[in-house]
Amino acid sequence: MMECGELLKELSEISAVTGRENMAAEKIAGLFREYCDEVRIDAFYNVIGLKKGQSENPGTVLVTAHYDEIGLIVTGIEDSGFLRFAAAGGIDAKTIGAMEVTVHGSKDLFGVIGTKPPHLIPPEDADKTVKMEDMRIDIGFDGPKARELVRVGDMVSFRFPVQELLNKRLAGKSMDNRSGVAALVEILKELRKVRHEDNVYVVATVQEELGLIGAFCTTYNIRADLGIVIDVCHGDMPDCPSDEVFPLDKGVAVAVGPILNRKHTRACIRLAEDERIPYQVDPEASDTGTEAAVHAVAREGIPVILLSIPSKYMHTPVELVAIDDIVSTGRLAARYIAGRGKE
Amino acid sequence: MFELIDTLTQTFGPSGYEKKVAGTIADLLKGKVDEIRSDALGNLICVKKGSGKKIMLAAHMDEIGIIVSYIDDKGFLRFGNIGGIPPLMILGQRVVFENGTTGVIWYEEDIDNMKNTKLDKMYIDIGANSRTDAEKLVKVGDLAVFVGETVEQNGRIISKALDDRIGCAVLVQLALSRPQTDNEIYYVFTAQEEVGLRGAKTAAFGIIPDMALAIDVCDTGDTPSCKPMAVRLGEGPAVKIKDHSVIAHPKVKDRLINAAKEKNIPYQLEVMLAGGTDAGSIHTTAGGIPSGGVSIPTRYIHDASEMVDIADVENAVKLLAEFVKEMVH
Repeated sequence: MMECGELLKELSEISAVTGRENMAAEKIAGLFREYCDEVRIDAFYNVIGLKKGQSENPGTVLVTAHYDEIGLIVTGIEDSGFLRFAAAGGIDAKTIGAMEVTVHGSKDLFGVIGTKPPHLIPPEDADKTVKMEDMRIDIGFDGPKARELVRVGDMVSFRFPVQELLNKRLAGKSMDNRSGVAALVEILKELRKVRHEDNVYVVATVQEELGLIGAFCTTYNIRADLGIVIDVCHGDMPDCPSDEVFPLDKGVAVAVGPILNRKHTRACIRLAEDERIPYQVDPEASDTGTEAAVHAVAREGIPVILLSIPSKYMHTPVELVAIDDIVSTGRLAARYIAGRGKE
Repeated sequence: MFELIDTLTQTFGPSGYEKKVAGTIADLLKGKVDEIRSDALGNLICVKKGSGKKIMLAAHMDEIGIIVSYIDDKGFLRFGNIGGIPPLMILGQRVVFENGTTGVIWYEEDIDNMKNTKLDKMYIDIGANSRTDAEKLVKVGDLAVFVGETVEQNGRIISKALDDRIGCAVLVQLALSRPQTDNEIYYVFTAQEEVGLRGAKTAAFGIIPDMALAIDVCDTGDTPSCKPMAVRLGEGPAVKIKDHSVIAHPKVKDRLINAAKEKNIPYQLEVMLAGGTDAGSIHTTAGGIPSGGVSIPTRYIHDASEMVDIADVENAVKLLAEFVKEMVH
């Protein structure tokens, strides 16, 4: 059994660019197998783990966390061998100059996003930001060789080895939302220690970054009585509105808002108080932009709870999270699930 | 082929009013498929029965247009858009209503920034002298489509509504060729794509196919100073990798690419950064349907003069014929 931080390091370095999760589905399935009664991968590469409950008439709890990551997609190959690209998922062009990348061509290729040296930038352009359409990936080959190995539509992922910082914090790529996947594993670990009545489906979902696609599939295929969504929220950063960011190490952020089920959300907060699990309240006035928006209106509607892990610098290759927040997220979800059917 | 395209493009059919197009297609396919039906949203569903897998091929029947929102005292019509309409493209264009009434689109000439012109600063002139005069021909809520005759020249076709009657033409041609396969093929002519991929969603739910393709148009990157895109007119139908509404399922796109390679059918790869297709709503229906697309490279999409290459259209039919024959795994 792997400790949460170690697991997250491993998860962060997996490549699963949104829409091409087939690259990583088997790895995620492997993680679930240690704890689940059944694990399968569906046609869209959602990875579905089932841990059966002990009741003769078990209810169904569906816990989803997406495992796709933002990345790039090759849109053209120039005669000089440079690759043009566009974003797959929301990316701020300012954050990707001079990054190292992996181009998932006919084989994985190392590449760099080239930037013009300061010496050659005319003074009048010195303060200007470069647009993504003006950037190129350099894989070191000329046009013919590049065209042999890379095709339009191939995906590109960022390379950024995870770094451990002080205070049990990790910085790296894809913490959004491998932190959530790590929390799914935490839930499974916790559930092994206790008796639970309901069947629990943990699902690592696909294509969230493209529009919650994996959640649409999953919430239709699994008829659930309770949905729990685990994703990241913004960590506390300088110069950001204080009501939209949450400090790290203060525990799981429990969302409260119109689309989130009030009964379950309140009970969850009460449980956190009773069990002294660190938590914070995350007010969400809109549909949250997370998979919770899909759960809420799937089939006849699934009562849904949203639990978030604060992450700084979201959608950059240096997303930063605190391990303890992931542990508290997993613990709260697992205790809540285990308490069901015993009221 | 030209005759078919001419017939389909010149039939009146803005979003929500696809009935005439559906009727034309149903007449063409009568007796050539095992079943023809339509659903509540106005989708036309033509089925070739089979014991194999269910394959849904969708092309949308609706075209962009305008809807009359107000008629002023002098008989000028104010209007809103049906589907995506770039304001600058429609200045001076003609529109025609279902009853044949023609209108000219013009703008309030005291506006100072043409670039920011919006539809609410434009009007349609049908030559009426007063509201009463205008209301003899047009009512609030009536829809009109753009005028653009269908022309063949240098192996290319110029017309209004190639988006997506060209996709309809491809499917009609494919159905008429009656590909021999055990697979069950659903030729689905969808409604209301231009206003949010609506028809395809209910059609897909009604069928729940094993696999689906949207047959639609995609942009090109081969005109002066256009946005870079690795698709050119005449270099083959495009296998969809991504548009704004979908990332093609890896197995679907691979199957298309393999079919093209095996039969030496020219093809290109499409990464379209703006604009969606029916695949966007099909693939999230009923628990997920692996979906992709075959696109006809098209210049000037949503203009009254769109342009396609006839060889691309014919090769799209060939590619789809191979795609549906193969057993689905």
